[in-house]
Amino acid sequence: MDPSDGFGSPRHEATADPAWASFCSWLECVCVVTFDLELGQAIELIYPQDVKLTEKEKTSICYLSFPDSYSGCLGDTKFTFRLRQSVGRRSSREDVYNRDAPVTLQKETAHFFGYVYFRQVKDVSVKRGYFQKSLVLVSKLPYTHLFHSLLQIIAPEYFEKLEPCLETVCNEIDQWPAPTPGQMLTLPVLGVILQVRIPSKTDKPAGSPVRQTLKESLVPAPMLLQTIHELDMFKCFQSVLFHLQMMWELMLLGEPLVVMAPSPTVCSETILALVSSISPLKFCCDFRPYFTIHDSEFREYTTRTQAPPNVVLGVTNPFFIKTFQNWPHVVRLGDIRMAGDLPKQVKVKKLSKLKTLDTKPGIYTSYKSFLHKDKIFVKRLLKGIQRKRPSEVQSAILRRHLLELTQSFIIPLERYMASLMPLQRSVTPWKTPPQIRPFNQDEFLSTLDHAGPQLTSLLRGDWMGLYRKFFRSPNFDGWYRQRHKEMTQKLESLHLEVICDADLLGWTKDKSEVEIVDLILKLKEKLIKAGQQQLQVKDGVLDKLNTFINSMISSLPQDQQALLNTP
Amino acid sequence: MALRELKVCLLGDTGVGKSSIVCRFVEDNFDPNINPTIGASFMTKTVQYQNELHKFLIWDTAGQERFRALAPMYYRGSAAAIIVYDITKEETFQTLKNWVKELRQHGPPEIVVAIAGNKCDLSDAREVPEKDAKDYADSIHAIFVETSAKNAINIDEVFTEISKRIPVVDGAGGSSARSFKLGRQTSESRRTCC
Repeated sequence: MDPSDGFGSPRHEATADPAWASFCSWLECVCVVTFDLELGQAIELIYPQDVKLTEKEKTSICYLSFPDSYSGCLGDTKFTFRLRQSVGRRSSREDVYNRDAPVTLQKETAHFFGYVYFRQVKDVSVKRGYFQKSLVLVSKLPYTHLFHSLLQIIAPEYFEKLEPCLETVCNEIDQWPAPTPGQMLTLPVLGVILQVRIPSKTDKPAGSPVRQTLKESLVPAPMLLQTIHELDMFKCFQSVLFHLQMMWELMLLGEPLVVMAPSPTVCSETILALVSSISPLKFCCDFRPYFTIHDSEFREYTTRTQAPPNVVLGVTNPFFIKTFQNWPHVVRLGDIRMAGDLPKQVKVKKLSKLKTLDTKPGIYTSYKSFLHKDKIFVKRLLKGIQRKRPSEVQSAILRRHLLELTQSFIIPLERYMASLMPLQRSVTPWKTPPQIRPFNQDEFLSTLDHAGPQLTSLLRGDWMGLYRKFFRSPNFDGWYRQRHKEMTQKLESLHLEVICDADLLGWTKDKSEVEIVDLILKLKEKLIKAGQQQLQVKDGVLDKLNTFINSMISSLPQDQQALLNTP
Repeated sequence: MALRELKVCLLGDTGVGKSSIVCRFVEDNFDPNINPTIGASFMTKTVQYQNELHKFLIWDTAGQERFRALAPMYYRGSAAAIIVYDITKEETFQTLKNWVKELRQHGPPEIVVAIAGNKCDLSDAREVPEKDAKDYADSIHAIFVETSAKNAINIDEVFTEISKRIPVVDGAGGSSARSFKLGRQTSESRRTCC
């Protein structure tokens, strides 16, 4: 029998679940944003109806769901935005998903993604003469490719069949299995079956297999998505190929960067591709694939009284050229012409040239790369264009290159970090777990001579300088915190395991009641913490400790027992 | 053994028992208080048919009028459609005829149509004579059975009949001698009438 048979839970059982539980593991909400003659952009429809969004979040969603200036967007336009969650929102606890997912695919804790399908067509029945509407998926998950593939299926149907269609889609999503790292999932929607694999933290960091182009298949065979999050990397980078090295460094260092693009699609895809270029490192600065003058952080990010913040913004409105004149790195993309020939490559230009609205495409910066360009690699990609190598293959080559570059950079850091871990034999049951040694930058840099990136990368240049600068970036901070947390939890797990193996009952024999009570309380606290952090310990350890605690409690006088048994 | 995935959709008026039929087929149970389907729900079940495994990808659509326009997405690409009516409600049989027309006009040309007269356990309240329905089904070359999801009558049979009518794929199946090793048919043995 097929183990996947059955699927979902029958509705009579599902009604017992909290409303929309499965839906919420994928999406925060789905909304339709329309242009109202009196109100301007307004939410016309929202599912689930009782979704908890603040007024500020709703306003942001409304503004960000329409192209900044939509004269040039006739037809259907797809793009992605990211907005900040309102403060005071109950942050989700440590969840199992985030524990097992690759860091780059973890659920957002302070932001939402908005995946937009905007339609603008002539319509004489509307006063403005145009039908203008966006279907928006709001989610904490960075599954760009999956959600845009989903929109490609549902949005055209929605614009024709309206509310019952949306109601149907939301109910179907509510029957989906929750996203689980490492699992292949079957996601039925509107008569189509999507099949996706959710990557896991334990996957080998090899470039993904070459993606097949998504066919909108009409046959019942499932539509297999090769990826849930990857973009056509090559398409996104094609006009900055010569400066790939620089772009990678700017992202690695979390430098303030603005990308000005001719359309919301190019703009948001470029930002997302840039952010993913340092994978498997997590990009820890704020990034806005589509930033508009209506964004609630507009003032905060464009103030001239402070240095530009460590954020990466994608914009389309030419007005921003003036706003971002003082930013250190501005990439202006032109219309991309791809006719089999080399896509037009932008040039590096002086920042002072960034003045007028008709500024030419280019990278406006005074940044000097730490590492040399990999000219052979760029040539290889350019040859690929001449040979008409498919874009998916080019993307796979590009992604592989960036992955190897990032790996070369982080392997020495990982190795040094691992050396800070206390020896396993120093973890003993009778003492608190030993401390992880502090990260010493100079000590790390001194390891580079014999164990630096030169072992895995042929690229020459000032790696040392790059590390020094990296230490001051939010990306280093984020990486260090994550590793430190994992190592602390590992120590905690090891500690629980040695406690479990220790002769605790023997220890209690000649101890006073106070000491025993103290041990019980400490152990209880450890177990609660282990539960909260979803600690991974050997099978049976937690059960054994619980049994031990209970048997110790029952050996105590009655009054103590009552006290200790209260949760 | 070859595995074939067959998209099947259920169509028919609201309250005729589409979801109950699916529920009986997939999970072999029955809930008299099942809620109306919103949009559609999806279930799968694999059964052995001769030397093939047939994995039914079952799309159970909503019968309510407001979801009617969505039906094409579910019958699009379907190998079979099960159109259900309630033998105790004449008007559901009329709705069925409209579905047949729509499928003929817009459905896949090779689609296998099965007509299921559900709630045959309530024959005291019968409004649609079995013979009328049978004659109609014959006239359009459709499979015809009267079913009871409640009493598990003829539910597996509908799907077996569909399997029989699915065109054989050349070269599919492979060696039939080996197929027995893969185990017995997974569907529950059929139940007899009450």
